[in-house]
Amino acid sequence: MHAEQKPIVFEHEHAPPNSVGVTTLIFVIMLGLTCMALLVGFSDLGPMKIYANLGVACVQALVVSMFSMELKNQDKLTWLTAAASIFWTAILFLFTMTDYITRGYAAH
Amino acid sequence: MAATNSTHDGAAPIVAHHFNNILQQQSSVRFGMWLFLATEVLFFGGVFCAYTVYRRWFPLDFEAASTALNPMIAGINSFLLLTSSFTATLAIRAAYTGNQGRLKAMLAATIVLGVAFLGFKSFEYYQDFEEGLVPSAQVANPDPLHHHARGMDSQFAHNLQHVLEHKKYYKDGAHLEDVNLDRCRLFFVFYYGMTGLHVIHMIVGIGLFIWQYILASRGFFVPKERFVYVEVLALYWHFVELVWIFLLPLLYMTGHHSFSDL
Repeated sequence: MHAEQKPIVFEHEHAPPNSVGVTTLIFVIMLGLTCMALLVGFSDLGPMKIYANLGVACVQALVVSMFSMELKNQDKLTWLTAAASIFWTAILFLFTMTDYITRGYAAH
Repeated sequence: MAATNSTHDGAAPIVAHHFNNILQQQSSVRFGMWLFLATEVLFFGGVFCAYTVYRRWFPLDFEAASTALNPMIAGINSFLLLTSSFTATLAIRAAYTGNQGRLKAMLAATIVLGVAFLGFKSFEYYQDFEEGLVPSAQVANPDPLHHHARGMDSQFAHNLQHVLEHKKYYKDGAHLEDVNLDRCRLFFVFYYGMTGLHVIHMIVGIGLFIWQYILASRGFFVPKERFVYVEVLALYWHFVELVWIFLLPLLYMTGHHSFSDL
């Protein structure tokens, strides 16, 4: 790099990958969450079952993205990318479901 | 990590000519994968959105159809995929510390666990096929005057009823009265579509892990700076696990399962 060139956004030291101990801890937590997901799946919670199922899945997704995929150590640009994907998916669900959920009201 | 511009033997340079230094290259590689994964979230988001619409419209039909699936194989596959993500993460650490033996062992373990997942998945598809749980337009009763109110015209509906009658929840047939068995084909379209897309992603991932294993055997990862390539492949693999985390409750755990059915 030339001396007069300004450092750009990518040029900084990145946090080292997870140690074996941390990786094992995440694995054990995920094992517990997977057991919980299966227990909920085999339970009879009626209409609440889908919400309990998705609740456990969201916690699992949070653990995987934050710690296994190390989103917590990433730069702002990566955070923006991850947030954008969630945002646009939310838009997709919101606009689609506002149509399908409210179709019944038109009849009354 | 210090930036270097060539390998120990002076072969291919570690830093490509269009990057200023190794840190910039590593960050670009990492960011490229995150950008790709963002498109993947939207890709799967469309399928999950379509599933949500139909699930809301026909909840009882989806619950009945899901009950016909094999939750035990899904459970085993969950643990296999979870363990393969664990070994993939350990592979990053091995590449970072320059432990070539452990790197190859962890890559091989990830490949074996991924292939085992596909093996169980294939067996499950075979079971579904044997039970006739394939959505088709094949008519069971060609007589147009013979029509059942809750939809029993397709061969698929007869096959599904046969499977459900062996399950504890539907054993007395009482709960089946509210279910349109013909319409349950819709659930199976999603089941094969969503798990099929996931399987394709797994095959691609396993192929890339095999490629990295070959590279590791040839000493490609001896310069430790190249650990980032293992890292981005593990990122992709974690995403495949993420998709499965949502497929499990939406496809398999939607139905009525009890431990006595296992």
